[in-house]
Amino acid sequence: MSLVADVLVWLGDKAHYRGDDGVLHRLAVHLEVTGAAVGIACLVALPTAVWLGHRRSRVGGLVVSAANATRALPVFGVLIVLASTSLGTTNKSAVAGLALFAVPPLLTNAYVGLRDVDPDVVEAARGNGMSGAQVLRAVELPLAVPLIAAGLRTSVVQVIATATLSAYVGGGGLGQFINEGFGRGDQVETAAGGVLVAALALAAELLLAGVQRLVTPRTATRP
Amino acid sequence: MHHLDAPNPWFSASFLQQNKDFLWSATREHLVLVGLSVAFGLLLAVPLSVLVQGHRRWSALLVQTTGVLYTIPSLALFALLEPVTGLTVTTAVIGLTSYTLLVLVRNVLAGLEGVPEEVLESARGMGLGRWRTLVTVELPLAMPTILAGVRVATVSNVALATVGIVVSHGGLGQVIFQGLYANFYRAEILTGTLLCVLLAGAAELVLLGLERLLTPWTRR
Amino acid sequence: MRARTLAAVGIAAALLAGCSDSSNGKTTSLKDSSSKGDVLVVLADDLKLQTVDNIVPVVRTAKASPALEAALDKVSSALTTPDLIALNQAVDVARQTSVAAAQKYVSDKGLTSGLSGGKGKIVVGAANFSESATLANLYADVLKAAGFDASVKSVTNREVYEPALEKGDLDVFPEYVGTLTEFLNKKANGANAAPKASGDLDATVSALKGLAGPRGLTVYTPSAAADQNAFAVTKNFAKANNLTKLSDLKNVKTKLVLGGPPECPTRPFCEPGLEKTYGLTFASFKSLDAGGPLTKAALKDGSVQVGLVFSSDGSLGSL
Repeated sequence: MSLVADVLVWLGDKAHYRGDDGVLHRLAVHLEVTGAAVGIACLVALPTAVWLGHRRSRVGGLVVSAANATRALPVFGVLIVLASTSLGTTNKSAVAGLALFAVPPLLTNAYVGLRDVDPDVVEAARGNGMSGAQVLRAVELPLAVPLIAAGLRTSVVQVIATATLSAYVGGGGLGQFINEGFGRGDQVETAAGGVLVAALALAAELLLAGVQRLVTPRTATRP
Repeated sequence: MHHLDAPNPWFSASFLQQNKDFLWSATREHLVLVGLSVAFGLLLAVPLSVLVQGHRRWSALLVQTTGVLYTIPSLALFALLEPVTGLTVTTAVIGLTSYTLLVLVRNVLAGLEGVPEEVLESARGMGLGRWRTLVTVELPLAMPTILAGVRVATVSNVALATVGIVVSHGGLGQVIFQGLYANFYRAEILTGTLLCVLLAGAAELVLLGLERLLTPWTRR
Repeated sequence: MRARTLAAVGIAAALLAGCSDSSNGKTTSLKDSSSKGDVLVVLADDLKLQTVDNIVPVVRTAKASPALEAALDKVSSALTTPDLIALNQAVDVARQTSVAAAQKYVSDKGLTSGLSGGKGKIVVGAANFSESATLANLYADVLKAAGFDASVKSVTNREVYEPALEKGDLDVFPEYVGTLTEFLNKKANGANAAPKASGDLDATVSALKGLAGPRGLTVYTPSAAADQNAFAVTKNFAKANNLTKLSDLKNVKTKLVLGGPPECPTRPFCEPGLEKTYGLTFASFKSLDAGGPLTKAALKDGSVQVGLVFSSDGSLGSL
């Protein structure tokens, strides 16, 4: 129980928030890296998944399976492999690695979201003379948005957790508290770091759940 | 400056040749870590889920607790366990087991929940007691869902076991990190990573096969 | 409907905006572009911050035996600093693994002959840098030749493995005389304890024995081979700021970021030593690794200006 008390004291100490190795700076780095990774993943995954889902292509199923296979990738392996490329040990390799892990939830959800739009609705829109592109823009995408938002939420929370590990191999972010605490035999710092990461993940989850609710049309047929 | 440039191939046959023993012992440790953690996960998840099944509040509590365990960053969990249980396989297994619980509990509960009411009634009608119904009717019917959970937990743990390196038992993570320490030796790093992926793929296939074997009625 | 679509896209765009920030490293580190470079050079320790750091086997007293000592002494007496540098080069440059490099050394020097009397399991620990792994394998090889069932267990740093050694998760460790002395000193006598390690090997070894004994640890004969903490900068940075020794760093006008293992800010021969003995102030510290590839890469790409390396590193350049 005294560890809990010590952690609370640590978290309450203003000095721990200042400076380049303080909570605020590391939080900023953590968010930056997460944002960049999810951003890249969106750029890669969303257009691909939307296109495959819109066409209801069979290839889509394969692509989703392949993306889900990334669950089997060891995080340290990917991060260190990328750090040993020309990307080096800068944040670039961490962002690239994290982007890889951010792709599957986005890809899967966007694909399924588009593929599973009620065919009757699509037919009705076609019947009204809308072209494929118009159907995509005005009917399918809006209906798929809730699922895409859910995918974004999963992706962000996953990257926040994974970014913690990148601290162990030279990256920045809140994981550094865990890394340093362990390396210095300071259990309080380790636990405080764990609490900070968990809190960030929870905050992101709640925020994006709210966003998901906002973008869910009340009258849409949920797939 | 040239003599300081270390060759750094992504693949080296001689590396594989010279380090067969190391790679094999790392793989063996990896299998032990994953096997033990999933086994213990089941040993915990099945009885607990059976106990709370049907009781909404207890079920929710169990799922929430395992959920909380899941959100503890793995690095922190291993780091905090180490002073207690040491630099041992035990520490790594405890950590890995706790991450399997959420998936396993959810799937066991879902599997049990999915047993049709009529089947339970006919079992009762046949005079089967609670225990026998569970073992001979409910669990077998829940098997596909439970095995799906075992598959997810296993593949996740194959990837996660590498984090055990922080407590000196990371299986193939050992290969990856030795490659890092030895001046970013790519062949070693990539070999460790690929072996991990291959192991995950093999585990997935084996468990799919097991699923087919144990639930022949789903083949139709 | 369009508004909702835009909302989702807007979120993605806001996240993307994070892209530009991290690529110029604005908030991640103070990148001093003038410190980038491909060659690393060690700055001389002119004020003698570092103490003697000869390699010495440290053993759990419960496992100590004449056979164990004889085997480990064979390695200690054969190993020299040039040998150590050559071994490090074999691993870090010639891409042999620590296991292979150790095996070759042991057979080349005939270290396995004349050893016997060993029985039982011995776990040799190796810290998280390649030299330690090589040394651990050297120990394990001779122990096997003596008849022990020896194996190497890879661990992280002293703050983690020393308690494990005392507890029995490890039996033998290839240690560094001065650094271990001060570590045990601080552990026993508090963070502000007067230093017990110095430039005198014999005095330091007897201080070490005095500290290790009560912890159930036995210290065997140290080797001639030594490896101290050293601090490196890129050749470019050294040339740009006229640096040849560590005390020259005081004159550098630009901000200095220090890179090293996570425990550096709390180790007397690391950051605190640089601050006290050389009067340096660092803008910040970056947790990387112990004289390993992460630190060296950070030096080369300019994210740190000064980095901890090891004096026996096989891949450093010269001024």
